[in-house]
Amino acid sequence: MISGLILNAILAGVMAGSLCGCTGVLCTRMKINTIAFATAHAALAGSALSLVVGGDPIFLGLMFALLTAVILGPISDYLRIPLDMASMTMFSVYNALTFIFLVISPGATLASEKVGQILWGSILAVTPKYLIILTTLTIIYVLFVTTFWGRISSILFNPKLAEAEGVNVKIYMYTLVALAGAVTVFALRITGGFLVFSLLFIPAASAIQLSENIRKIVFTASFLGLASAIVGVGLSFILNFPVGSCIVIGATTILAGAATISTIKRKQLLETVKVTSQI
Amino acid sequence: MLKLIQKTVEKDKFCVELQDVSTYYSGETKPAITNVWLKIPIQSLTLIVGPNGSGKTTLLETILGLLKPKTGKIKIFGYDIPKMAVEARKMCGYLPQDFMRPPGEPFSVKEVVGMGLASNKPFGKLNGKDWEMVYDALNLVGIEDLANRPVGRLSGGQQQKVMFARALVRKPKLLLLDEPFSALDESSRKFISETLLSSLVEDGCTVIMVSHDISFKPKRCSLTVKMNFGKIVEVSST
Repeated sequence: MISGLILNAILAGVMAGSLCGCTGVLCTRMKINTIAFATAHAALAGSALSLVVGGDPIFLGLMFALLTAVILGPISDYLRIPLDMASMTMFSVYNALTFIFLVISPGATLASEKVGQILWGSILAVTPKYLIILTTLTIIYVLFVTTFWGRISSILFNPKLAEAEGVNVKIYMYTLVALAGAVTVFALRITGGFLVFSLLFIPAASAIQLSENIRKIVFTASFLGLASAIVGVGLSFILNFPVGSCIVIGATTILAGAATISTIKRKQLLETVKVTSQI
Repeated sequence: MLKLIQKTVEKDKFCVELQDVSTYYSGETKPAITNVWLKIPIQSLTLIVGPNGSGKTTLLETILGLLKPKTGKIKIFGYDIPKMAVEARKMCGYLPQDFMRPPGEPFSVKEVVGMGLASNKPFGKLNGKDWEMVYDALNLVGIEDLANRPVGRLSGGQQQKVMFARALVRKPKLLLLDEPFSALDESSRKFISETLLSSLVEDGCTVIMVSHDISFKPKRCSLTVKMNFGKIVEVSST
């Protein structure tokens, strides 16, 4: 029973971690981190709503996240405010809704296991149904990114130039935001609402320390996201700590290691340059 | 689709047509360009000149549909802009004014030039022939040896050549250049303005070039448009 639970948690961590690592790099390059913030907290609010109305937390979280991904652009256009500002406005609204839903949910609120799963994450939340949906999402995500990489990389380099060359930037941006929202919903079940960004951005930050090419950065971030999730799940089992917190510890340790390797590499490069110039 | 584009190109005498176009920036009450009427013939080189803030870049971006005009009509090869902008842009090459990238930019020179082909290929995937075109474009602007270098580590002039190669690799029917010589040395500027642009026009390409430097006029320039305060103040043909 326990080994099945560990296996499910590791499988979920591998998929959610690698998708989050990749998503973190793409969001950072497209400067849409605040959109990821808004969609993540939309997912949190949706999951919290499930405690009140009794629905499926994944489904409601997903609906909230996708709806947010779709409406953020038009809201920003309509209000004539930057996308960042629209995202942070929605972020605040969703935080408020989350707390209201948690307070009005039936039963003992903060002590309940369900609330704990939403706020701090839990490997108990990894059910076979969750794994099936996560696997489907992983396949769709990987297919989309690999198939359209030529156009996506053009947008990552310079969205305005990509648009000037006939790439339909809005469609790709909205699809990537929607996928980022969906990834966040699933990662949220493991890391919890408050720590989901650890899987999104710490592996991306580590990958930038280790690689200089965008493809390598995406691959490295995916791998480090996966590694952070495995370390986190393992630590959580051993120490009986919340899995989200353990993932943050794992991811931050990896970041510290990556930064050290990067510093050593830079020093070695400087030494080589010095020696070459002396010759 | 390609046949349709070719037919349209042959049918229309003018590559770009603007009728009473005014463009405003978001939140501004004063237009950036006002009541612009302009027809640019196919297979010509048009130079748009004027001081800083006269509306040259806004005009280029409005032509491409990157900025939506508040009034007026725009056509590129018969396509209504911005309604059919995506289709029209596939025939265009564009060299933006702000091309400089930071040193940490994680893209190589050949990847950046290859991106120029992404919008015109199914799914944006490049094959071996496409990569040959990328190297040809790099060779044309004399930076083939920089193909594998990270683009952010190059000098301003080299980066501008990379963006030039990216515009050229698309084999555009309409090439829009925004201050294309701003970072180039004298010999590169001479080669591009006298040799490269001339051969492009001879091959059927229409070139629209923006420059604040009124004293500089490329060879084969057939139309000079002077702008000031967002308005066209003079159009002269050579």
